[in-house]
Amino acid sequence: MKNRISYPVRWFSDWYRTFSRELLHIFRDSGVMVIFFLAGLAYPILYGLIYRNGSVDNMPVAVVDNAGSPESRQFIRDVDATRELSVRYSCADMSEAERLMQQRLVKGIIMIPDDFSDRLASMQQATISTYADMSSFLYYKNLTMGTNMVMLNAIHKIQAERFSAAGYNEGQVSAMVQPLRYEENIPYNRTFSYSIFFLSAVLLIVIQQTMFYGVSMLSGTMREENRSFAILPDHLNGHGVSRTVLGRGAAYWLLYIAIGVYITSIVPRIFGLPQNCPYWQIFVLLLFYVSACVVFSLTFSSIIRHRETVFVIFLFMSPICLFLTGFSWPTSSFPAFWKVFSYIFPSTFAVQAFINMNTAGADLSLASPQLTALTVQIIVYYILSCTAVLIENRISEKSTWIFR
Amino acid sequence: MIFLKNVKASMLRELRLMRQRPVYLLASVGVMTFCCIFFLTFLRDGMPDNLPIGIVDNDNSSLSRNIIRQIDATQLGKTVVFDSYASARKALQTGRINAFCVIPEDMYNDVLSQRQPVLTFYVNSLYFVGGALAYKDLLTMANLSSGAVQREFLRAKGMNDNAIMGQIQPIVIDAHQIGNTTTDYGVYLTNVLMPGILEMIVILVTVYALGSELKYGTSRHLLEKSGGSMTAAMLGKLIPYTVLFTILGIICDLILYDLAGFPLAGSIWNMFLGTFVMVLACESVAFFIIGALPILRLAISISALYSVLGFSLAGFTFPVEAMPPYIQGLAAAFPLRHYYLMYVQEAVFASGFNGWYPQIVYLLIFMFLPALVYKRLRNAYQSLCFPRN
Repeated sequence: MKNRISYPVRWFSDWYRTFSRELLHIFRDSGVMVIFFLAGLAYPILYGLIYRNGSVDNMPVAVVDNAGSPESRQFIRDVDATRELSVRYSCADMSEAERLMQQRLVKGIIMIPDDFSDRLASMQQATISTYADMSSFLYYKNLTMGTNMVMLNAIHKIQAERFSAAGYNEGQVSAMVQPLRYEENIPYNRTFSYSIFFLSAVLLIVIQQTMFYGVSMLSGTMREENRSFAILPDHLNGHGVSRTVLGRGAAYWLLYIAIGVYITSIVPRIFGLPQNCPYWQIFVLLLFYVSACVVFSLTFSSIIRHRETVFVIFLFMSPICLFLTGFSWPTSSFPAFWKVFSYIFPSTFAVQAFINMNTAGADLSLASPQLTALTVQIIVYYILSCTAVLIENRISEKSTWIFR
Repeated sequence: MIFLKNVKASMLRELRLMRQRPVYLLASVGVMTFCCIFFLTFLRDGMPDNLPIGIVDNDNSSLSRNIIRQIDATQLGKTVVFDSYASARKALQTGRINAFCVIPEDMYNDVLSQRQPVLTFYVNSLYFVGGALAYKDLLTMANLSSGAVQREFLRAKGMNDNAIMGQIQPIVIDAHQIGNTTTDYGVYLTNVLMPGILEMIVILVTVYALGSELKYGTSRHLLEKSGGSMTAAMLGKLIPYTVLFTILGIICDLILYDLAGFPLAGSIWNMFLGTFVMVLACESVAFFIIGALPILRLAISISALYSVLGFSLAGFTFPVEAMPPYIQGLAAAFPLRHYYLMYVQEAVFASGFNGWYPQIVYLLIFMFLPALVYKRLRNAYQSLCFPRN
């Protein structure tokens, strides 16, 4: 009688029961809904809004022009004309400029010494001093880029004047001023926009982190209610680990493919992020990444005892995971230990692949190292999550035996 | 006197809870320790060195080899030679290098015959730090190489070296970095990230401590212990955490400014004060969240969302004044934002009390938040009328 149903049908019905039960748990739990939907859907939008402008333009600077010569005034006008800087104050002396900087009315100071024009006239090197507010590196970058650009132009102009005064013709002058020219191509993020840089990395981090927190909250809840996350179908006497893991996993997988499509296709469109790769290729990456995140979350959520503790103990991992992707501090400068540590997280590989594909236009074949790493993670974490279920069952068997 | 006794009773009860449930210490001391070790070791170089920079050398002359040597000579860069544009581009697209330079064919001959050959740079600015630094290195290299060619020419004309410098580089920029002279990324990030982690811990642990009384239905026991006084119960409950968080914050300040030797223009005592006031402000925010939403599961999710946003809205990476106006207002609702502004005044500019007292006032204003929800939380504690799960 019992064996009339064939194995695949049985397997599928067990799987389906776990799957639908898990979905039910998710939608009944307001805390998890907040994390999955409020965080998963609203965070990317919020980050997009925060970094919407992308760059700091016309950063206010103060100028102390002790030279007061035509050359120094021209230099200041050129600084003001750059996209990066805007000369907001002209100060009589350094102490006044310092005060403005301390009051944070300016983020940088440019000081032109009184011997500036004299030194230029006598063919000596003239020095201009800049002082950058280092409280944000973007201030420093703006001041450096703005003044260096103006300086190079000024240098070329001075040299050209001197050579033509010495009697060279126009072609010769140009060749002597710039014997080597250069041309710059910054193809993927022309203006060094902070929003393209930050969003590209943070979008995928949101997927992994919200999923991990949500899964852990549910595992914790089950533990608290004296049910285990590792309930196996009753009729199998301790077998059927795979259908439990795959059934639970499928529930999250389904939800997150939907959230993932929203995060990787709709959000970039809203904020005008470049998408230089056909979407189906991003979707393939998403399939790998979401699968890896599911088994990763199932594995690590098994150590959570109480539902709320996952935030209290693991929330700090979100910024750390972000750094471990190497989007900011370059991977080539990671200390060896942290490099290995970063391999634990699916986000490390997925963010790199996403940045390379979505914005730098690499195709799937160029992302194969990351896809391979994600595949390894899927296999390892799948085995680990099955092991967790097995161990959990052993423990609960033993404890019921003891209490008997 | 009775009030003090009640506070003491509630405090002793809390200390016992902290001993019994390791999550409190793990989430505060454990997390702080891990993050401290992480950020101090992860960013210990301060500046990335030996960034891989690609070179496609189509010229193969003494000049092109000289260019490669120049990049290798800088501490920042290390050249990786590619034999074609296509392979260098692939490496750029996969993030293996952040920038590369194509040296054109016959560059050296073109230079000699004054045909102004063009070097081409390609920069992947998606990797912000690596891209920007590699870009800077390439620009410097190109200008130095131009200068070197000019120098040879002027020497041949019989100019002396002193005059040559005045001609090749008539203007130099002497750059000063206020508050971080060595442009150290570790200093820049860790100084704000660690207080950010502290903010996160304070909010989460406080919400958890206050909310678990509701969740486990022990709030009436707490009120009994404190003689029915909610004020005594709350004071007794929060004093041990305030002390713990403040000690953690002060140790963190000592590690940053003393042990790691990060620059601090002002006084460390003022930093202690800032840390302490930030702890109070964060506790008030936590009290407000659990008071407004006396259901632990929801309150903790909301606090998590809130405290993660603090990092972005502090404005130490992307400045707040460059954000849209409606976001700028939102930034003021995060204690970390005010702490950061205070830190800038004290640690970068040493402007003392006059510079940072407004921030301390703003942080203290957060302490009015608990008053708004005080009654609601007292009701919740007394009647346990909210769903527990």
